[in-house]
Amino acid sequence: MDEIIQRIRDNFGVLREHRQRDDLAEVWIEPRHVLPLLTWLKEHTPFVQLTHLSAVDWLEDGEFQLTYLLTDPVGRRSLMVAVRISREEATAESVHTLWAHAVTYEQEINEMFGIHFPGSPRQGVPFILEGWDDIPPMRRDFDTVEYMNRHHPSRPGREHTDPRRYIGQVVGEKGYLHD
Amino acid sequence: MASSKFPLAPPEHSRPHAPMGEGCFLGETERQQPLALKEALAKIKNWFRANSLWVMAYGTGCGSIELRPLTTARFDMERFGMAMRPTPRQSNVLIISGYLSVKSLKRVIRAYEQMPSPKWVVGLGSCTINGGMYWDSYNTINRLDLYVPVDLYIAGCMPRPEALLEGFGVLMEKIKAGEANGWNHYLEQMDWYKENQKKLITDWDLPDYNW
Amino acid sequence: MTEQTALERRVQLWFGPQHPGITGNMAVQAWLEGDTLTSGVTHVGYLHRGFEKLMERRKFIQSFPIVCRICVPEPDTNEWLLAASIEELSGLDKEVPEKARWIRTLFLEMSRLSSMLMVLGGHVGAMGLGTAPNWLITLRDYILDRFEELTGARVYHMYVTYGGVRRDLPEGFAERLEANLQEIESKLPLVDNVIFDSAVFRKRAIGVGVVPEEWVDELGLTGPIVRAMGIARDTRTDYPYEKYGELDIEPMTTTGSDIFARAWMRRLEIAQSIDLIRQILAKMPTEGPYSAKLPNMLTWTIPAGETYVRAEASRGEMGYYVVTDGSDKIRRVHVRGPSYVHGVTLLERLMPGTNIADLSALMVSLQVCPPEIER
Repeated sequence: MDEIIQRIRDNFGVLREHRQRDDLAEVWIEPRHVLPLLTWLKEHTPFVQLTHLSAVDWLEDGEFQLTYLLTDPVGRRSLMVAVRISREEATAESVHTLWAHAVTYEQEINEMFGIHFPGSPRQGVPFILEGWDDIPPMRRDFDTVEYMNRHHPSRPGREHTDPRRYIGQVVGEKGYLHD
Repeated sequence: MASSKFPLAPPEHSRPHAPMGEGCFLGETERQQPLALKEALAKIKNWFRANSLWVMAYGTGCGSIELRPLTTARFDMERFGMAMRPTPRQSNVLIISGYLSVKSLKRVIRAYEQMPSPKWVVGLGSCTINGGMYWDSYNTINRLDLYVPVDLYIAGCMPRPEALLEGFGVLMEKIKAGEANGWNHYLEQMDWYKENQKKLITDWDLPDYNW
Repeated sequence: MTEQTALERRVQLWFGPQHPGITGNMAVQAWLEGDTLTSGVTHVGYLHRGFEKLMERRKFIQSFPIVCRICVPEPDTNEWLLAASIEELSGLDKEVPEKARWIRTLFLEMSRLSSMLMVLGGHVGAMGLGTAPNWLITLRDYILDRFEELTGARVYHMYVTYGGVRRDLPEGFAERLEANLQEIESKLPLVDNVIFDSAVFRKRAIGVGVVPEEWVDELGLTGPIVRAMGIARDTRTDYPYEKYGELDIEPMTTTGSDIFARAWMRRLEIAQSIDLIRQILAKMPTEGPYSAKLPNMLTWTIPAGETYVRAEASRGEMGYYVVTDGSDKIRRVHVRGPSYVHGVTLLERLMPGTNIADLSALMVSLQVCPPEIER
């Protein structure tokens, strides 16, 4: 693992790195290095499987983070490759030529976050939602309660209670539930 | 039984060949009959209906996992005359088993309208009543009775098989008493239901009524 | 009569969402020539509830009641994955008591067993044979009875929590579970007889739906599909979590990679699960706390971090990618279900050339669980 991360550092440049567990490391790289790095990892290292691809919305930084989780099924370890892209542009390179099932992940991210992957098939084809007419729902600035109030009327008489009122009495001095 | 408010007449070719009139014992026609005979006939019809509930096998949500044990020997719903049918054309009970996403609701409306009358809808689980666990979700409806008429709710998340059997017992009693009239209500208030459905489903591409 | 072109001979058929042969609430848009599929597309989204969005609005402890609803036949893997990932990010994982880990292992294995009993019945149920599914659903009910005794609920348990589990094993639980296991074992030869000796099942399952070995790494396949090709990969042994490392466990494998092999794989794993539950009950300590001391859950915040935790569900590797930002809520969670690949990309690849009658059997053998795809 250390050797591969060292080679990524030398050849591609690492913005930030983190070792979560013995079998799980994460590297942050620049967007232009995504396709070359993933191609190299798939062709020349044991990290051959794409376990998942997901996006994180960092609204306060104005950035999206894409996380590619690669797995080495023989060596039993995983590497997360993370990349930050601008929130306005929201475009990233597609990796569907490396892994066929990346098409589904990119289709879903396109629908739920509004990130565009040029060249990937099924971009813009609805995957989960149907007839959606708002901003992509997984973005942080999408307010699900406000949307619910507009579209899905609640039954009158529903009470909202704050659990703090009841549980607060049981919690002990130190704040432990089991005291 | 056709109400004057019912805006859509069935197309010519879909009408039954034999006119539902004289000589048709169970036909839904207005006839000059003594009141006592009409009531007696209605009671007989309802008794037959209550004892042969055929459930459409459409698992719309997670509650349908408890419908599967109902068909096995342990709970055995067939002893109450209930059976699972694969198609809406053969069934008269539609179980909405839990939360309903907007995409599913479209298919549910379609399936419900395809079922022959008389038909009943059972809302299973808290999600059908007020949204339940997903009350703040953008994709699940909070009230089922705005879109299809619900004859019975079975509360719980999810209701146990015993609760389901109890619920179906109540539905049978309601049918025998002639109180489960959701299907008539749907036809009478068609405009109101259609307005609600179209308000929610923005890309409406269903026909006005799915025969 | 003029000759039809290939395009004119094609028929488009929607298989589902309202169809008894479909696994859950999903649809397959299939194009047919005669009764053979030329291509097909999976359509999901009928069960989308937006879990990942809802969890961003809920406190850590409030997420438990909703995560288990991600997969109905086997909800407990989700509970454990959420607990394990948050414990890892908060550092609470060092405080989980020994006994809680054993109870969690037992809990996960019981849930695998109940799910596999159900899907083994589904294999023949999809071919129209009703006897074995009815038996197996009843056998699964015995496990659900034990779940009910342990947690108070049959299907959604909400039993695993941060730092341990919610309550101790009831008195005499092990004996009653053992009695259930013996009951299940005594019925399994009958089940074998009506499934694996059935001429109908053998004729329709052997050589149908073969998954080539090259696709394993290309598509990231996991679980029984891979083990049915003879590749010994199992998350429980490859990345031992909880107490799986202390158990005597070897990945089960078989060969053939067709529907029959995958059904046989489930049968082997049912036997393995029963054996593992007995091992866990024998090795489990009787004394000790079942939960760590928890901080006040209403004000609990954990440091920023990212992690990926995986577990072996009955369908394959299930994983949670969790991002926290130092607040009292999850920043982002991505649920990686095995069906995401098996139900969309793999199924679409296997569909061309399949007979329409075999399609639902193929879907069951891949154990497609749609709520896991769309969440």
